[in-house]
Amino acid sequence: MPREAVAELIASPQLFAFPHTTPLIAGVVLRRGRILAVLDLGPGVSGALSPSTRFFLVVERHISDAPEKCAIPVQGACELVTGIMLPAENPDGFVTGHLDLNGEQIDVLDLEKAIAFSAANKNEWIPATEALS
Amino acid sequence: MFSIAEYSFLISASSVQEIRSTDSLGGNVVDLDRPVLSKVRHIVERDSRSYYVVSGYEHFHVPLSRPTSVLILRDVPVAVLVDRIEQMAEMRILLGLPRSFRGEERIWYRGLTVLERKVLPVADPRGFLTAEELRRLEDENPGLLQAAGHPVGASRHERERA
Repeated sequence: MPREAVAELIASPQLFAFPHTTPLIAGVVLRRGRILAVLDLGPGVSGALSPSTRFFLVVERHISDAPEKCAIPVQGACELVTGIMLPAENPDGFVTGHLDLNGEQIDVLDLEKAIAFSAANKNEWIPATEALS
Repeated sequence: MFSIAEYSFLISASSVQEIRSTDSLGGNVVDLDRPVLSKVRHIVERDSRSYYVVSGYEHFHVPLSRPTSVLILRDVPVAVLVDRIEQMAEMRILLGLPRSFRGEERIWYRGLTVLERKVLPVADPRGFLTAEELRRLEDENPGLLQAAGHPVGASRHERERA
Protein backbone atom coordinates (compact mmCIF):
# COMPACT_ATOMS: atom_id res chain seq x y z
CA MET A 1 0.00 0.00 0.00
CA PRO A 2 1.15 3.56 -0.52
CA ARG A 3 3.06 4.89 2.48
CA GLU A 4 0.56 7.71 2.98
CA ALA A 5 -2.18 5.22 3.84
CA VAL A 6 -0.19 3.39 6.51
CA ALA A 7 0.09 4.69 10.05
CA GLU A 8 1.92 1.88 11.84
CA LEU A 9 2.35 -1.84 12.32
CA ILE A 10 1.17 -3.06 15.71
CA ALA A 11 1.06 -6.26 17.66
CA SER A 12 -2.16 -6.46 19.59
CA PRO A 13 -2.69 -9.12 22.21
CA GLN A 14 -6.38 -9.52 21.61
CA LEU A 15 -9.06 -9.05 19.01
CA PHE A 16 -12.48 -8.34 20.51
CA ALA A 17 -15.49 -9.64 18.62
CA PHE A 18 -19.15 -8.82 19.08
CA PRO A 19 -22.24 -9.22 16.91
CA HIS A 20 -22.58 -6.89 13.93
CA THR A 21 -23.64 -7.04 10.28
CA THR A 22 -20.91 -5.10 8.46
CA PRO A 23 -19.04 -7.22 5.91
CA LEU A 24 -15.29 -7.73 6.43
CA ILE A 25 -15.13 -6.52 10.02
CA ALA A 26 -13.67 -9.24 12.20
CA GLY A 27 -13.80 -7.25 15.43
CA VAL A 28 -11.90 -4.43 17.07
CA VAL A 29 -8.54 -3.94 18.72
CA LEU A 30 -7.59 -1.49 21.41
CA ARG A 31 -4.68 0.80 20.61
CA ARG A 32 -3.56 3.62 22.90
CA GLY A 33 -7.05 4.01 24.31
CA ARG A 34 -8.63 4.10 20.87
CA ILE A 35 -10.77 1.42 19.33
CA LEU A 36 -9.86 0.35 15.81
CA ALA A 37 -12.11 -1.72 13.59
CA VAL A 38 -10.30 -4.74 12.14
CA LEU A 39 -10.98 -5.18 8.42
CA ASP A 40 -10.17 -8.54 6.91
CA LEU A 41 -9.38 -8.03 3.23
CA GLY A 42 -8.70 -11.74 2.79
CA PRO A 43 -11.96 -12.64 1.01
CA GLY A 44 -11.26 -10.16 -1.79
CA VAL A 45 -7.50 -10.16 -1.97
CA SER A 46 -6.67 -13.82 -1.37
CA GLY A 47 -10.08 -15.49 -1.61
CA ALA A 48 -10.21 -16.60 2.02
CA LEU A 49 -10.43 -15.16 5.49
CA SER A 50 -7.05 -14.18 6.85
CA PRO A 51 -5.48 -16.70 9.19
CA SER A 52 -5.38 -15.79 12.85
CA THR A 53 -2.66 -13.29 13.64
CA ARG A 54 -1.65 -10.80 16.29
CA PHE A 55 -0.12 -8.32 13.86
CA PHE A 56 -2.15 -5.51 12.36
CA LEU A 57 -1.32 -2.82 9.85
CA VAL A 58 -2.99 0.40 10.96
CA VAL A 59 -4.26 2.32 7.96
CA GLU A 60 -6.20 5.51 7.54
CA ARG A 61 -9.48 5.53 5.68
CA HIS A 62 -11.74 8.41 4.80
CA ILE A 63 -15.32 7.57 5.58
CA SER A 64 -17.86 10.28 4.79
CA ASP A 65 -14.91 12.64 4.35
CA ALA A 66 -13.71 12.01 7.89
CA PRO A 67 -10.47 10.16 8.61
CA GLU A 68 -10.60 6.96 10.60
CA LYS A 69 -7.85 4.54 11.46
CA CYS A 70 -8.53 0.85 10.92
CA ALA A 71 -6.46 -2.28 11.44
CA ILE A 72 -5.79 -4.91 8.79
CA PRO A 73 -4.58 -8.33 9.90
CA VAL A 74 -1.18 -9.15 8.42
CA GLN A 75 1.34 -11.89 9.01
CA GLY A 76 3.94 -9.52 10.41
CA ALA A 77 6.35 -9.52 7.49
CA CYS A 78 5.95 -5.85 6.57
CA GLU A 79 8.62 -3.75 4.94
CA LEU A 80 8.93 -0.14 3.84
CA VAL A 81 10.31 -0.02 0.32
CA THR A 82 10.94 2.63 -2.31
CA GLY A 83 10.47 2.12 -5.99
CA ILE A 84 8.90 3.37 -9.15
CA MET A 85 5.31 2.25 -9.48
CA LEU A 86 4.14 1.08 -12.86
CA PRO A 87 0.40 1.50 -13.41
CA ALA A 88 -1.80 -1.57 -13.42
CA GLU A 89 -3.15 -2.86 -16.70
CA ASN A 90 -6.70 -2.89 -15.33
CA PRO A 91 -7.37 0.52 -13.76
CA ASP A 92 -10.72 -0.65 -12.39
CA GLY A 93 -9.22 -3.33 -10.16
CA PHE A 94 -8.03 -2.91 -6.59
CA VAL A 95 -4.39 -3.26 -7.72
CA THR A 96 -3.42 0.21 -8.84
CA GLY A 97 0.13 -0.58 -9.85
CA HIS A 98 3.24 -2.70 -9.43
CA LEU A 99 6.67 -2.16 -7.92
CA ASP A 100 9.63 -3.97 -9.38
CA LEU A 101 11.93 -4.93 -6.52
CA ASN A 102 14.99 -6.67 -7.88
CA GLY A 103 12.84 -8.63 -10.29
CA GLU A 104 10.05 -9.33 -7.80
CA GLN A 105 6.71 -7.83 -8.75
CA ILE A 106 4.83 -6.33 -5.79
CA ASP A 107 1.19 -5.34 -6.21
CA VAL A 108 0.16 -1.95 -4.84
CA LEU A 109 -3.35 -1.95 -3.39
CA ASP A 110 -5.96 0.76 -3.48
CA LEU A 111 -7.39 0.24 0.00
CA GLU A 112 -10.90 1.50 -0.64
CA LYS A 113 -11.23 -0.49 -3.85
CA ALA A 114 -9.91 -3.59 -2.09
CA ILE A 115 -12.48 -3.11 0.69
CA ALA A 116 -15.30 -2.64 -1.79
CA PHE A 117 -14.19 -5.67 -3.80
CA SER A 118 -13.81 -7.84 -0.70
CA ALA A 119 -17.21 -6.76 0.59
CA ALA A 120 -18.79 -7.63 -2.74
CA ASN A 121 -17.16 -11.06 -2.59
CA LYS A 122 -18.40 -11.62 0.93
CA ASN A 123 -21.68 -9.82 0.76
CA GLU A 124 -22.98 -11.08 4.05
CA TRP A 125 -21.92 -10.54 7.61
CA ILE A 126 -19.02 -12.62 8.85
CA PRO A 127 -19.77 -14.26 12.18
CA ALA A 128 -17.03 -13.17 14.53
CA THR A 129 -16.34 -16.76 15.53
CA GLU A 130 -15.68 -17.66 11.91
CA ALA A 131 -13.38 -14.71 11.40
CA LEU A 132 -11.40 -15.59 14.48
CA SER A 133 -10.99 -19.29 13.77
CA MET B 1 -23.51 -6.94 31.98
CA PHE B 2 -25.47 -9.71 30.32
CA SER B 3 -24.59 -12.45 27.91
CA ILE B 4 -26.22 -14.07 24.92
CA ALA B 5 -24.56 -17.14 23.44
CA GLU B 6 -20.81 -16.50 23.69
CA TYR B 7 -21.04 -12.72 23.69
CA SER B 8 -21.22 -10.22 26.54
CA PHE B 9 -23.03 -6.90 26.38
CA LEU B 10 -23.63 -3.96 28.65
CA ILE B 11 -26.79 -1.99 29.18
CA SER B 12 -27.17 0.96 31.48
CA ALA B 13 -28.86 0.03 34.75
CA SER B 14 -31.08 3.09 34.53
CA SER B 15 -32.73 1.72 31.41
CA VAL B 16 -33.70 -1.57 33.09
CA GLN B 17 -36.91 -1.66 35.11
CA GLU B 18 -36.64 -5.20 36.36
CA ILE B 19 -34.76 -8.45 35.86
CA ARG B 20 -36.74 -11.66 36.09
CA SER B 21 -36.12 -15.33 35.62
CA THR B 22 -37.91 -16.66 32.55
CA ASP B 23 -39.42 -19.36 34.81
CA SER B 24 -41.21 -16.73 36.85
CA LEU B 25 -43.06 -15.14 33.92
CA GLY B 26 -45.38 -18.09 33.24
CA GLY B 27 -48.97 -16.92 33.29
CA ASN B 28 -48.17 -13.35 32.30
CA VAL B 29 -47.16 -14.21 28.75
CA VAL B 30 -49.53 -13.77 25.79
CA ASP B 31 -48.84 -14.99 22.26
CA LEU B 32 -48.89 -12.43 19.47
CA ASP B 33 -51.70 -13.02 16.98
CA ARG B 34 -49.51 -11.94 14.09
CA PRO B 35 -45.79 -12.16 14.85
CA VAL B 36 -44.53 -9.87 12.10
CA LEU B 37 -40.99 -9.99 13.46
CA SER B 38 -39.30 -13.33 14.04
CA LYS B 39 -37.61 -11.97 17.15
CA VAL B 40 -40.92 -10.99 18.80
CA ARG B 41 -43.52 -13.69 19.43
CA HIS B 42 -44.96 -12.80 22.84
CA ILE B 43 -46.07 -10.03 25.12
CA VAL B 44 -45.50 -10.09 28.84
CA GLU B 45 -47.36 -8.12 31.47
CA ARG B 46 -45.71 -6.78 34.59
CA ASP B 47 -47.29 -4.41 37.08
CA SER B 48 -50.17 -3.46 34.76
CA ARG B 49 -47.79 -2.65 31.90
CA SER B 50 -47.14 -4.76 28.86
CA TYR B 51 -43.92 -5.36 26.95
CA TYR B 52 -42.98 -6.99 23.66
CA VAL B 53 -40.64 -9.91 24.40
CA VAL B 54 -37.58 -9.66 22.12
CA SER B 55 -35.41 -12.72 21.62
CA GLY B 56 -31.88 -11.53 22.27
CA TYR B 57 -30.14 -14.08 20.09
CA GLU B 58 -32.42 -13.40 17.14
CA HIS B 59 -32.04 -9.67 17.58
CA PHE B 60 -28.25 -9.87 17.48
CA HIS B 61 -28.19 -12.65 14.84
CA VAL B 62 -26.13 -14.96 17.04
CA PRO B 63 -26.47 -18.75 17.33
CA LEU B 64 -29.43 -20.22 19.15
CA SER B 65 -29.05 -19.79 22.89
CA ARG B 66 -30.90 -20.71 26.07
CA PRO B 67 -32.34 -17.61 27.69
CA THR B 68 -32.83 -17.86 31.43
CA SER B 69 -33.44 -14.21 32.28
CA VAL B 70 -35.50 -11.38 30.93
CA LEU B 71 -34.59 -7.70 31.13
CA ILE B 72 -37.75 -5.63 31.40
CA LEU B 73 -36.78 -2.22 30.13
CA ARG B 74 -37.85 1.18 31.36
CA ASP B 75 -39.29 3.84 29.01
CA VAL B 76 -39.78 1.38 26.12
CA PRO B 77 -42.32 -1.46 25.87
CA VAL B 78 -39.61 -4.08 25.50
CA ALA B 79 -38.49 -7.11 27.50
CA VAL B 80 -35.30 -8.80 26.28
CA LEU B 81 -34.54 -12.48 26.67
CA VAL B 82 -30.90 -13.00 27.62
CA ASP B 83 -28.91 -16.05 28.64
CA ARG B 84 -27.40 -14.74 31.86
CA ILE B 85 -26.82 -11.65 33.92
CA GLU B 86 -23.06 -11.60 34.38
CA GLN B 87 -22.42 -8.80 36.84
CA MET B 88 -23.03 -5.18 37.76
CA ALA B 89 -20.16 -2.99 36.62
CA GLU B 90 -19.28 0.67 36.53
CA MET B 91 -18.90 1.97 32.99
CA ARG B 92 -16.35 4.79 32.98
CA ILE B 93 -16.21 5.56 29.30
CA LEU B 94 -18.47 5.30 26.26
CA LEU B 95 -16.71 5.39 22.90
CA GLY B 96 -18.49 5.81 19.59
CA LEU B 97 -18.71 2.86 17.27
CA PRO B 98 -16.02 3.27 14.59
CA ARG B 99 -17.52 4.61 11.37
CA SER B 100 -16.37 1.48 9.56
CA PHE B 101 -19.32 -0.24 11.21
CA ARG B 102 -22.26 0.59 8.99
CA GLY B 103 -24.81 -2.18 9.56
CA GLU B 104 -27.61 -2.80 12.02
CA GLU B 105 -25.13 -2.49 14.86
CA ARG B 106 -25.41 1.28 14.55
CA ILE B 107 -28.97 0.85 15.82
CA TRP B 108 -28.20 -1.89 18.32
CA TYR B 109 -25.42 -0.13 20.21
CA ARG B 110 -24.90 3.21 21.91
CA GLY B 111 -21.20 2.61 21.52
CA LEU B 112 -18.36 0.58 22.98
CA THR B 113 -16.75 0.59 26.37
CA VAL B 114 -13.65 -0.89 27.95
CA LEU B 115 -14.13 -3.01 31.03
CA GLU B 116 -11.38 -5.06 32.64
CA ARG B 117 -9.30 -4.52 29.48
CA LYS B 118 -12.03 -5.95 27.29
CA VAL B 119 -13.97 -4.03 24.65
CA LEU B 120 -17.69 -4.58 25.03
CA PRO B 121 -20.70 -3.20 23.16
CA VAL B 122 -23.20 -1.10 25.06
CA ALA B 123 -26.75 -1.96 24.00
CA ASP B 124 -29.15 0.85 23.16
CA PRO B 125 -32.49 0.12 24.85
CA ARG B 126 -34.28 1.85 21.97
CA GLY B 127 -32.45 -0.34 19.47
CA PHE B 128 -34.19 -3.59 20.40
CA LEU B 129 -37.34 -2.40 18.64
CA THR B 130 -37.14 0.61 16.38
CA ALA B 131 -40.06 3.00 16.01
CA GLU B 132 -40.81 1.38 12.66
CA GLU B 133 -40.81 -2.12 14.19
CA LEU B 134 -43.06 -0.99 17.03
CA ARG B 135 -45.44 0.53 14.51
CA ARG B 136 -45.56 -2.71 12.51
CA LEU B 137 -46.23 -4.76 15.64
CA GLU B 138 -49.00 -2.42 16.72
CA ASP B 139 -50.52 -2.31 13.22
CA GLU B 140 -50.66 -6.10 13.01
CA ASN B 141 -51.72 -6.64 16.63
CA PRO B 142 -53.89 -3.62 17.36
CA GLY B 143 -54.63 -2.97 21.00
CA LEU B 144 -52.76 -6.07 22.15
CA LEU B 145 -50.33 -4.22 24.37
CA GLN B 146 -53.21 -2.64 26.27
CA ALA B 147 -55.20 -5.89 26.53
CA ALA B 148 -52.32 -8.21 27.36
CA GLY B 149 -53.21 -8.40 31.03
CA HIS B 150 -55.93 -10.94 30.35
CA PRO B 151 -55.47 -14.68 30.93
CA VAL B 152 -53.19 -16.73 28.73
CA GLY B 153 -55.17 -18.34 25.93
CA ALA B 154 -57.71 -15.53 25.73
CA SER B 155 -58.82 -15.20 22.14
CA ARG B 156 -58.12 -12.15 20.06
CA HIS B 157 -61.85 -11.43 19.99
CA GLU B 158 -62.01 -11.51 23.79
CA ARG B 159 -59.01 -9.25 24.07
CA GLU B 160 -60.41 -6.78 21.55
CA ARG B 161 -63.73 -6.76 23.38
CA ALA B 162 -61.86 -6.14 26.60
